[in-house]
Amino acid sequence: MSAGVGVDLENLWIRFGDFVAVRDANVNIKGGDFFSFLGPSGCGKTTILRAVSGFLDPSEGNVLIGGNNMQGIGPNKRPTALIFQNLALFPLMKVWENITFSMEIQGASARERRKRADELLDMIALPGQGDKLPSELSGGQKQRVAIARALCAEPDVLLLDEPLSALDLKLRQHMRTELREIQQRVGITFIYITHDQGEALTMSDDIAVMRAGVIDQIGDGKTIYNDPSTAFAASFVGENNVFRGKVSKIIGNEALISTNRSGELHARISTANQGKLQVGDDAMMFIRPEALSLAPTGTQGDHYVTAQVNHEEFEGNTYNIFTEGDGGKEIKISIPNLGQSFDDHTGQPITLEYDVSNAVVVPAGELASE
Amino acid sequence: MPGFLKEFFNRNGTLMGSIMLGLVLFWVIGLIILPQLSMLDFSFRPNLPPPEIGGPKDVYTLENYKYLIYGPEGGSQDYNAVDLAVFYRTLVAAVLVTLFNLAFCYPIAYYLGQTKGNHIRIFALMLIIPYWINEILRAFALRIIFGETGVFNTLLVGSGIFDTPFDFIRNDVALYAGLGYAYILLMIFPIYNVIESLDHNQIEAARDLGAPWWRIHWRVVIPYAKPGISSGCTMVFMLSAGALAAPQILGGPSSLWFTQLIYQQFNDNSDWPQGAAYAIVLLVTCILLVLAVMRLFKVNMGDIGK
Amino acid sequence: MNPDKIIRYSIWIYLAIFFAYLLGPLIIMSATAFNSPGFPRMTPWECLTFDWFGALFRDERILNGIWNSVLVGIGTVIMSVSMGLAGALMLTQIWPKLRATYYTIIIAPILIPGVVLGISTLVFWDRINRMLGLGADSFLSNGLFLTIIGQSTFIASYCMLVLVARLQRYDMTLTEAALDLGATHAQAFRKVLMPFMFPAIASAGVLAFLASFENYNTTTFTFGEYPTLTIELAQKVRYGITPAISALAFMIVALTVFFALVNEANIKRKALIAEARKDATVGELAGKVEVPGFLSRNPAAIALIVLLIGTATVVGSAMAYSPDQCIAGVQEQKRLETERRIQELRDQRAKDAAEKSQQEGGAETQSTPKPSNNSGFGSVFAPGTLEGSDSDAGDAAPTDSGGNNSGFGNVFDPNALQNDDN
Ligand SMILES: Nc1ncnc2c1ncn2[C@@H]1O[C@H](COP(=O)(O)OP(=O)(O)OP(=O)(O)O)[C@@H](O)[C@H]1O
Ligand SMILES: [Mg+2]
Repeated sequence: MSAGVGVDLENLWIRFGDFVAVRDANVNIKGGDFFSFLGPSGCGKTTILRAVSGFLDPSEGNVLIGGNNMQGIGPNKRPTALIFQNLALFPLMKVWENITFSMEIQGASARERRKRADELLDMIALPGQGDKLPSELSGGQKQRVAIARALCAEPDVLLLDEPLSALDLKLRQHMRTELREIQQRVGITFIYITHDQGEALTMSDDIAVMRAGVIDQIGDGKTIYNDPSTAFAASFVGENNVFRGKVSKIIGNEALISTNRSGELHARISTANQGKLQVGDDAMMFIRPEALSLAPTGTQGDHYVTAQVNHEEFEGNTYNIFTEGDGGKEIKISIPNLGQSFDDHTGQPITLEYDVSNAVVVPAGELASE
Repeated sequence: MPGFLKEFFNRNGTLMGSIMLGLVLFWVIGLIILPQLSMLDFSFRPNLPPPEIGGPKDVYTLENYKYLIYGPEGGSQDYNAVDLAVFYRTLVAAVLVTLFNLAFCYPIAYYLGQTKGNHIRIFALMLIIPYWINEILRAFALRIIFGETGVFNTLLVGSGIFDTPFDFIRNDVALYAGLGYAYILLMIFPIYNVIESLDHNQIEAARDLGAPWWRIHWRVVIPYAKPGISSGCTMVFMLSAGALAAPQILGGPSSLWFTQLIYQQFNDNSDWPQGAAYAIVLLVTCILLVLAVMRLFKVNMGDIGK
Repeated sequence: MNPDKIIRYSIWIYLAIFFAYLLGPLIIMSATAFNSPGFPRMTPWECLTFDWFGALFRDERILNGIWNSVLVGIGTVIMSVSMGLAGALMLTQIWPKLRATYYTIIIAPILIPGVVLGISTLVFWDRINRMLGLGADSFLSNGLFLTIIGQSTFIASYCMLVLVARLQRYDMTLTEAALDLGATHAQAFRKVLMPFMFPAIASAGVLAFLASFENYNTTTFTFGEYPTLTIELAQKVRYGITPAISALAFMIVALTVFFALVNEANIKRKALIAEARKDATVGELAGKVEVPGFLSRNPAAIALIVLLIGTATVVGSAMAYSPDQCIAGVQEQKRLETERRIQELRDQRAKDAAEKSQQEGGAETQSTPKPSNNSGFGSVFAPGTLEGSDSDAGDAAPTDSGGNNSGFGNVFDPNALQNDDN
């Protein structure tokens, strides 16, 4: 299969009465991509997916699939297949009937259907289980049947609504690789919804970070992780330490922030905000735990932070140090365990060092709640 | 097209949506609302032979309602004592039947709702089976029992309590027994449904606190079962006030039920408007009574039929 | 006795009274179908007879009533199940502010007296009929149509309640999944929603049929040329009752019990299968379901079989058994009883006459021996005495039975005489 069919959202608004569930979303999803919407519960991810699959009419704006405006085209006429958050397997149909439901609709014979079902069952590693009822399958098996059912319809775009959320951790991680493999094999566009950033980062080509109906940032995993454009994106994806303050000086693409607790600190302005952030603006600076390292005590400078250690923990691959931070939040430092000796710093002041390119400044904004 | 309709058709498709909407509209408007309104309208018209309907004489009048209160014009009495008495008696008797049913059915509903075991299914089956049997036949069964040579009279006379057969029918005993009998199930099921969902621990807790059984019922079970009780009482009251078969078969020759008057107006006197007026009076009075009682006990319409 | 025991006993007494009230009338009524007197009664028990069933099946009006009831029932089931389903679906989707009002309206027909429904149906369609300028024989004033419409008004509400209960457990995303996979709305309805709703639709259909079958209050205003069974029964019951009605009632009771047991056995069987399925692996499933069999742990199925055997026995013996002998015997007894009364009367008269004649001076003493003979008739009810009294009855009957015994014509049929001669 070639490039596949892309999906575009243009100025998409969706309202339920007075409540705005999706606010002015603009997204271009390339054909054949694995695209994820990442956001906390209730931020409007399912709503967007329902608009793409045709169960919801946008209040404003357009949904384009393969460049065609989908306005007025019902869900059964769109080249999409949706895997529901609760899977929605037909409880009274056997597994093979479930999988080939789309063929039954088109009037395929039972023989053809059985044959196709067997192929798909092989693909999802459930050979010979076609005669069971969905209620007789395990969670992960149901999951795979739902995927097979959707694939059987040969959609151009597969929409997946948190399909792994009901599974346990082990299975979830296994299914991640499996899903990615399937996507690469069939080569169609996947639009994936999740509130789990690990899922989004490992599987996706591109990610859209959503907050309360608004899309904060779109980019590939590295960009989202290393170069967040909002405080929400920075705090929602991965672990991050926040330093609040005001911009005191701008030097090209970098800035000095006078922080509330740690003096003046130097950091890089995130790409999306370069040229927009002004001196005097409220800002937040983010540094990942793994980007901080220990420096000789008492070292001064605009990329050194002094702090009091609250406690420490050993996580196997890292040593974690927690120091008192800003606004009730601790600062976390992760030091890779390379077999070196490690002193206990609890209760002592320490000095932390970071590389300016690893500290990102964004305008002050809402943080993701834990 | 208003938003609601648009969404409705979106969700159900044009074909299925239209069928659904058509059926619902036909039912709600064509079968429920319009017939009632048309009966209401009819009750305000004079009784005319078909050719004159819609003619100059077809004007609105209160005649039919006046008739219920004052009787025929130029009649010997000031009030229509006969019909009013029947009306009054019907309502009072319906209330009594309802209360009797409540008292009689509450214990079994409670028992079925709070007891576990296989015999409960059997009991439930035994409860339901009589209700699969024709209303007329149930009344007929009671007539056999209460007849002059029925089981009761044989027992009573045989054991020497009475020396002549007691006329259960003329004394309306058969009628009340029959009305009570007819609607037992409609009283039991709503109460049972509610009580079944009552957590038995609540009762245990009350018992632990030393409450006597009647207080447990009064303070815990009955307040909880109130929606079921009101639902059951409403249905039994409405149905017994509107019963026709039981009074016709089990009623004494001298004591009429109000529905029998309606029936006579329609079938014997061919006075449809008059019958419609009586039906309206019955319907409105019953509804008002039920609403008043529901307000008194603070229950909602939504609880009915659960 | 401790209070706990008292409570337990009173519960059982209460249950006994309750079920006696509930089931007693039906049992007694059923029993009267097998007793020979022309008025349905259980006491005194005279003769076991199956004749009332014959009488029932010869009754044209009853048969016609059953046919009409079935027609009305089918129409009502179709109308009310589809309206009830549409109403239930609408209830789950309707704009929340309208929901309470809507619910009140569609539940109201349950509470409106049937009489009122019948009248309003009649009046409304009569008016429509007139507005359209149709005659009295138009479709809209057809009894079948009116009855179906009138009954469906409230039966649809019952169906709606049954269907809503199931619909609440339906996951609306299933329909969406079907649509998403390319089904039209009609296909999604037929292939996904309907199979799920089927059990409830079946119960609603049965419920609707039964409710229609037994409806009287509404039908009595609308039936027109199509009297249903209930209407015919009501006519009969109001103007003279016979055990043929008991026979019908008995058959309905038996059928009801039969279907209730079938249903119960079926439910139980499914539960057993489900249980077996749960702990069976796929391989042993097929075997395991059949091994426990249809009967084990299934009391309803056993009761069902007992009932079937019972029915077969009864029907079998009904074929072979003839109650004529017994009936003749009882009638003979009755006749003799009458005879005895007459004799007593005569006796009395004779005595009076004798007294008179004694007073007058003693003529006509001839008739006195006979009364003294007949005083022994008190023992007539012992079977043995029948033969002895034979000759006496033989010559008494033709002369005296005349007006008194007119109800018992078949005393004189050949069988009866043979019996007497033996
Ligand atoms: N039909 C509806 N009517 C009114 N509000 C709705 C409707 N559907 C969704 N919402 C609201 O829109 C918001 C977004 O809902 P949505 O289902 O898209 O969340 P989500 O991002 O998928 O969350 P989750 O991760 O928990 O599934 C929620 O606040 C929800 O309450
Ligand atoms: Mg969701």
